[in-house]
Amino acid sequence: MVTRNVTLPQQAGRSPSGWYATIAVLVALIALGIYAYSRELSEGMAVTGMRNIGPMGGATWGLYITFVVYFVGLSFAGISTAAVIRLARIDRLRPISRMAELLTVITLALAGLAILADLGQPLRGIVNLFRYARPQSPFFGTFTLVISGYLFASLVYLYLDGRRDAWLSEQTAERHLGFYRLWAAGYRDTPAERERHDRATFWLAIAIVPLLVTAHSTLGFVFGLQVGRPGWFSALQAPAFVILAGVSGLGMLAIIAAAVRRWLHREEELTVAIFRWLSTALTILLLTYLYLVVVELLTNLYTGSSRERDVMSELLFGEYAWIYWGAVGTFVIALVLLLVRAALPSLRSAVWPVVAVGGLVNLGAIGKRYLIVVPSQTKGTLLPYDEGSYTPAWTEFALIIGLIALGVLAYLLFTRYFPIVELPRPATSEEKEAR
Amino acid sequence: MRRGIVVLMVVVGFVLQATAFFFLAAPLGTPTAVRFSEPRLPFAPLLFIVGIMLVFSAALVYELLPDRGADEG
Repeated sequence: MVTRNVTLPQQAGRSPSGWYATIAVLVALIALGIYAYSRELSEGMAVTGMRNIGPMGGATWGLYITFVVYFVGLSFAGISTAAVIRLARIDRLRPISRMAELLTVITLALAGLAILADLGQPLRGIVNLFRYARPQSPFFGTFTLVISGYLFASLVYLYLDGRRDAWLSEQTAERHLGFYRLWAAGYRDTPAERERHDRATFWLAIAIVPLLVTAHSTLGFVFGLQVGRPGWFSALQAPAFVILAGVSGLGMLAIIAAAVRRWLHREEELTVAIFRWLSTALTILLLTYLYLVVVELLTNLYTGSSRERDVMSELLFGEYAWIYWGAVGTFVIALVLLLVRAALPSLRSAVWPVVAVGGLVNLGAIGKRYLIVVPSQTKGTLLPYDEGSYTPAWTEFALIIGLIALGVLAYLLFTRYFPIVELPRPATSEEKEAR
Repeated sequence: MRRGIVVLMVVVGFVLQATAFFFLAAPLGTPTAVRFSEPRLPFAPLLFIVGIMLVFSAALVYELLPDRGADEG
């Protein structure tokens, strides 16, 4: 028999101050995104800033694909953190495990929606992809393996990992019992069930790791294997994608963990040690990423073809220089902040530097994703076309803002109805007696 | 019984992936003709995805399907 000594679920059913106002703002932003998409569906892609490469001097991939890459990048750190926690049995990081899993599921869903927004004929795109795509192609690996396979695997992981907490919530919650019962699906937390759950999630984590590395590498290959596109063709694209994905994802996880810690008062579970681990991981990944940036810069400037150098010079000194240096600047500032935090004893227990780093690296990651997607289309043509340009239209901004609002709303709603931090296991009567 | 179903799902999932990838989708090799762009079986890519989902669904079956005898302990 289980004692009911745990307050469950965390903040579920309660409406903190500003809750309804926040929801109203998010819903309004989502409505704006839907309106923008309706314009795109009725008027065609002409309402976006995207145009054909070459004769029309534009870019066929713009803000949508930039955010597809960004969202998929965020998902990487989510499920990989959860998998590493499970496989390496790092129990002190377990409180961020569910946050990471949820981050993966939501960002992958957003990536899928951003792809749909990028397709002029979404229905035709979806059907033909499953009908004609080449599984050997990086496009297939990215846009179907990631969105369907990886998302499905992450959903299974999130669902199974949450069954015990759903059962615990069902024991004590007064509302939404049907929801908790449905999620728990008969779970009773017997020793046999616990053992089976541990075994299932262990193997699931093992199966997810190669899938996520493959998925994120193929996203890099979509760009890196295009030999006719200066600026994209590089062996470093895949590893750089994976590393920057880790940087932005861990940064976002730090922001979410700090928000949960503050607003749901989970200081006991979300300890400073967790933020120390996040900052150490971020430091290593940031150093690695900056190393890759320097290597790519030197290679292109020393030995790149003339068109390769043209694209690089546009990044360093031309139209895109403010984004390039802005992105690199945020990474450098973030790294300095992390090193200062590690060096100064007074800052070692502070959470805010890690949150600031999370914000900075995510801004930088969006900038870098934009630079990966756009300049090679407008400035990297090998055929004798004039240089092109691309400026996102308001519809694109509105749709992306709507998608982000949708993601935030989904996260908030989940947090309201389900424990976002794994609940402690209540003592059974046998354990109590043993004490 | 449960373990048997799980193993079967994993095996069938991987077989489906391999079959779709190597035999049913567009042929591997240097593309020298139009046939390299067309799948040998329509919706072969979907079968590949179904194979992946089947493998991961095995975890659901493993946890959710009751196994009398083992669970009672």
